[in-house]
Amino acid sequence: MQTHLLVGAVAYTPNVVTVWEGIRDYFAGGPAEMDFVLFSNYQRQVDALLDGTIDIAWNTNLAWVRTVARTEGKCRALAMRDTDTVFRTIFVARAGSAWEGLAALRGKRIALGSRDSAQAAILPVHFLRRAGVDAEYLRIDSDVGKHGDTGRSELDALRAVLDERADAAAIGIGTWEAIGRGELMPGAFEVVWTSPVYSHCNFTALPALDDERAAPWVDQLLAMDWDNPAHRPILELEGLRRWVPPQLDGYASLFDAVREQGIAEHW
Amino acid sequence: MSHRWVLDLVERVGAVAAGATVTVAVADTEAGSETDVDADAVAEWCRRTGNQLVELRGTLATVRRGRADPLAELAGLPAGQRPGTRLWLYTNFDCNLACDYCCARSSPHADRRALGLDRVRRLAAEAAGAGVTELLLTGGEPFLLPDIDELANACTAQLPTTLLTNGMLLRGRRLDALRRMDRARLAVQISLDSPTPELHDRHRGSGSWSRTLAGIRTAAEEGFRVRVAATLPVGLTSDVEPFHAFLDSLGIARADQIIRPLAHRGAADHGLTLTLESLVPEVTVTADGVYWHPVSADHDDHLVTTTLFPLASAIAEVRRLFAEHRARATAAAQWFPCA
Repeated sequence: MQTHLLVGAVAYTPNVVTVWEGIRDYFAGGPAEMDFVLFSNYQRQVDALLDGTIDIAWNTNLAWVRTVARTEGKCRALAMRDTDTVFRTIFVARAGSAWEGLAALRGKRIALGSRDSAQAAILPVHFLRRAGVDAEYLRIDSDVGKHGDTGRSELDALRAVLDERADAAAIGIGTWEAIGRGELMPGAFEVVWTSPVYSHCNFTALPALDDERAAPWVDQLLAMDWDNPAHRPILELEGLRRWVPPQLDGYASLFDAVREQGIAEHW
Repeated sequence: MSHRWVLDLVERVGAVAAGATVTVAVADTEAGSETDVDADAVAEWCRRTGNQLVELRGTLATVRRGRADPLAELAGLPAGQRPGTRLWLYTNFDCNLACDYCCARSSPHADRRALGLDRVRRLAAEAAGAGVTELLLTGGEPFLLPDIDELANACTAQLPTTLLTNGMLLRGRRLDALRRMDRARLAVQISLDSPTPELHDRHRGSGSWSRTLAGIRTAAEEGFRVRVAATLPVGLTSDVEPFHAFLDSLGIARADQIIRPLAHRGAADHGLTLTLESLVPEVTVTADGVYWHPVSADHDDHLVTTTLFPLASAIAEVRRLFAEHRARATAAAQWFPCA
């Protein structure tokens, strides 16, 4: 056990246990055996990565940006989900509003998810500011600390629109898919604007984890196979079809947003 | 009608572990309108998100996180109880007795409704290839059939077989038929309800106990493994030691002494209530179709399909239905926690 790589993840649903037990079992007996530690929030996890308690952190995009800042760029990303390379934010309003584009939201009241959610709070504000759109924000901090992973604050933002407490809501593509892209809620929502793609989660490591230990682990991770019945349930639960090398360009917008909005290093 | 409940489904199902179920209200209650449920939309949400709609009852949808694994449901049973392990064949429905609790409503007046040799031969052959490990022939009274020896031999040629009978007809040409059966592959199961005539004769007819006892002795003397099965009212199944002692004295092994409770089926006016949900299936084929269990082989509510062949498809359908019922029962257990 002493030589096992220790991977950290945040427990935002009970299925995190199932996912990581499955991944641990997948690595068992191979060249890069691992175990995992679960944290209640991303700050604890990043702290544990920096103090050497864990070797690798399964980080959200905001946790990645904060880790880069706290290590002065010395950390590195090892891999991410295919779905992490094509994440988007969707602005939705009540069906029939016929608003098209961010400019249509000028002066409107927009429901945002938890303040530490990149997809539902930080990046939406960034996109609106870049478009020169001033708006009023209804912030719904339902799951602070988990960087919006639970999705609850995004659902609450949608409820705020249905209840006419807000004119529009900003949510992640994952929540939009989960509600059937509006097709299962006739007369409820329509899309106002869809953001460019950006990167979401990644496995983050410090220089202390040398390539000799990291490379076999990454190689084996990338070899997980959607068509293998033993791997499939884990991939389905974690929301990907395959692991891919990191796409760091996709974090540029969040780095800008964090800097411009003065997001603290700790949260 | 905004289907606001979609948001609740996403939140509630997303918060539970894979395999767990949640029950969510899915009614559209717009102001001034009646409560309405869009069952198609609920099913479509489950399909798109890879979750399983266990049940939609009234305005409540019970959803399992992820998909149920039918094999996992079946794996929870002892190997011998898994549906499709044993295959029952109703050779016929007519009988020389008219027992007042007969689950199959058999009697001298019942239509024969025989499976016939060709179908029995094909069923036995397909059973061996479909994972069945034991065949059981029952009725009616199988020894009323002139070709019962051929039926039994068609089965034992494929798999170990048990032949159920009241044992009263094992004389003359019927005894000759028994003697032509395969002693190494065939067990004879004879119905006897009590160690003395009174209880047995009360339900099965005067004088039947003595003739059945003679049949048990004949089958044993002919070298067949003999099982004895008693059908008792639910309240009497606990005081059975005198009966076991009596069967011991006949040389019947304890493992071959079967006490079963009376089922509220067929001619019985009381007994255990058996439903598809409460009864682990044992695939049963009659001339009319494939049924859930031999105790309900004359009841449309337990008819699975009227298509006998291919047998493997019928067995697969029983397994699928069983897994469905199990999943629903598991969900029900989670709806009503004790604390």
